[in-house]
Amino acid sequence: MPSYPDINGQRPFGRIAEAQPDRVAMRLLVIEDDRDAAEYLVKAFREVGHVADAATDGDDGLAMALGGQYDVLIVDRMLPKRDGLAVIGALRAKGMETPALILSALGQVDDRVKGLRAGGDDYLPKPYSFSELLARVEVLARRRVGRSEETVLRVGDLKLDRLSHQVHRGQEEISLQPREFRLLEYLMQHAGQVVTRTMLLENVWDYHFDPQTNVIDVHISRLRSKIDKGFSLPLLHTVRGAGYMIRDGAR
Amino acid sequence: MTALGKLFRTTTFKLTLVYLTVFALFAAFLLGYFALNTRRLITEQITDTVNAEITGLSEQYRLGGIRRLVAVVDARARRPGSSLYLVTTFAGESLAGNVTSLPPGTLDNAGWTETAYRRLDESDSAEHPEHRALARVFQLPGGFRLLVGRDLDERERLYNIVISAGRWSIAIVIILGLVGGLFVTRRVLRRVDAMTETTRTIMQGDLGGRLPVAGTGDELDRLAENLNLMLERIEALMHGLKEVSDNIAHDLKTPLTRLRNRTEQALRSAKKESEYRAALENTIEESDGLIRTFNALLMIARAESGQARENMSEFDAAEIAHDIGELYEPLAEEKGIALKVEAEMPAPVKGNRELISQALANLVDNSIKYTEPRKETANGVPAEIVVRALKEGDRILLTVADSGPGIPEAERSRVIERFVRLEQSRSQPGSGLGLSLASAVARLHGGELTLTDNNPGLKSIIALPRGGPVQIGG
Repeated sequence: MPSYPDINGQRPFGRIAEAQPDRVAMRLLVIEDDRDAAEYLVKAFREVGHVADAATDGDDGLAMALGGQYDVLIVDRMLPKRDGLAVIGALRAKGMETPALILSALGQVDDRVKGLRAGGDDYLPKPYSFSELLARVEVLARRRVGRSEETVLRVGDLKLDRLSHQVHRGQEEISLQPREFRLLEYLMQHAGQVVTRTMLLENVWDYHFDPQTNVIDVHISRLRSKIDKGFSLPLLHTVRGAGYMIRDGAR
Repeated sequence: MTALGKLFRTTTFKLTLVYLTVFALFAAFLLGYFALNTRRLITEQITDTVNAEITGLSEQYRLGGIRRLVAVVDARARRPGSSLYLVTTFAGESLAGNVTSLPPGTLDNAGWTETAYRRLDESDSAEHPEHRALARVFQLPGGFRLLVGRDLDERERLYNIVISAGRWSIAIVIILGLVGGLFVTRRVLRRVDAMTETTRTIMQGDLGGRLPVAGTGDELDRLAENLNLMLERIEALMHGLKEVSDNIAHDLKTPLTRLRNRTEQALRSAKKESEYRAALENTIEESDGLIRTFNALLMIARAESGQARENMSEFDAAEIAHDIGELYEPLAEEKGIALKVEAEMPAPVKGNRELISQALANLVDNSIKYTEPRKETANGVPAEIVVRALKEGDRILLTVADSGPGIPEAERSRVIERFVRLEQSRSQPGSGLGLSLASAVARLHGGELTLTDNNPGLKSIIALPRGGPVQIGG
């Protein structure tokens, strides 16, 4: 049975926060017409240490997004006055490249494609879990740093060479299947960040459907047995109720 | 709208009017042409006769002088129905003939003239109106003048008869045409009214109603037959829709009830914090399951309605077999089942890659779920699942063969049937819609999902036409 965030404390999402001690506070804007949902998101983001504002229609949202220095925008697809895709389109037309995540009740593949084509950077169908949203937002915020261009990724004594496709832990070479390599590569690109199962399925396998059984878990445990087995310090961690994270545990 | 007004507004009646007008105009033209031609013919006959007589009379004059001419004219003038004759002197004095009261100056000019006249024997002007005649005045040598003419009454009478006959017949044509048109229109209208009546009852909810077919095989019958076919299709669809909504209701209401019951029970009887916590965790889990079912239902509905047809492209089915096999292999291995992929040759197919991947994933997932891990030595059959992609004619087959318990033959078609799966798989984990979705995806691509015996085990086959779905009606 999965474990969910502590509901008794003042910070229901504290557990997720604890999993990432090196979390950098972000400025977020939630554009969502359902006040309850917007309030819930703002509160939840604040609890894990981010700064979040909310707008309840497309025009306000656009004005705030243009005025404020936000790291990530969370935009509902269907909004009064100006719909979510139009808000993103207007921002992009003004040269603002703030990453935007689209929330939508339309979860089909072609809706998703439409959303991304309109300038969105990620797409999350409703209903979503907060941990999924948080993980995706943090990945979006961090993407600007440009880690994806590095040719050698390092986490602790784990080293992944993207050119020679070689993986070393300490002095020992680890041999991985191509898909395991891509899985590790994705995790290391987002080292220190929570990566959810759906994110892995989307980015490593390029599937956007629900595989029903948790196939990803088995892949992770295989990978874990290759990179962590026999080493005193585990690097690949399970974040309960959210996903996985690769992190140098010594810090 | 009055009944008559309704009649006049029908297409049939308007057509009748158009035909009637065209026909009447044509008849009038024909009769007019006939009348004019008759008249011309008669005039020609008159001139021929008059010319012949003048030639004859001037010959008599040449042979026997004025005396002989007068005698001949006198004799001829007395015959009943004779032509008109008049012989005058140079001064205009009448010598012989049967004509009088010619307008003055008629004889002055030689040649043809149409003139009023009166016969000698009907001198009383009050009793006899003037007649009209076509006459020729001929200058005889020696100053005498000869007039020969024919009465025109006959010509005018014939002309008038033709004209009035024409008027009557056109009037009759119009009357008969209108009556016939109304009759035909009423017949057609009655059939259309019957159709309208049926349509109305169908619109009121009686989908079993069908339009009457007269059996004459005419255009109205063909229309009715086609509409009836359409109604049958609509009825089938409505029936399907009802079945679907019943199943959705069942499949969503059952977990919703469960969720509500557990929450209620936690509120009522939970004492410790950990019990509340467990109840809440359970609620989230249950709602995740609901979302999953809901998504699967939506996806099936979309696939069934053909909405996902836009996103089709060419891809390699063998690659999908490898990818899905690779995705599920660790899961199978963990359960003690060997998962193999046999797809050597590229198998290009046109379709929605994402949906076909999901369909295949569902089949593999099902097989893993139902195949029991077995020791390789036990009755010699290893627990294994084989995923294949192969070409067969103009179709691409994606097959998943397992060594599980299989599905009894009698149940197989039932299992694929829409939503029947729901009933049986309630006790199993997952949405239980895997096969329904796979089948919907196959049909979306113009293919089909079949389940066969793998001896032992189950073999699921998704057959797809290589070129993608054939456009209906194309």
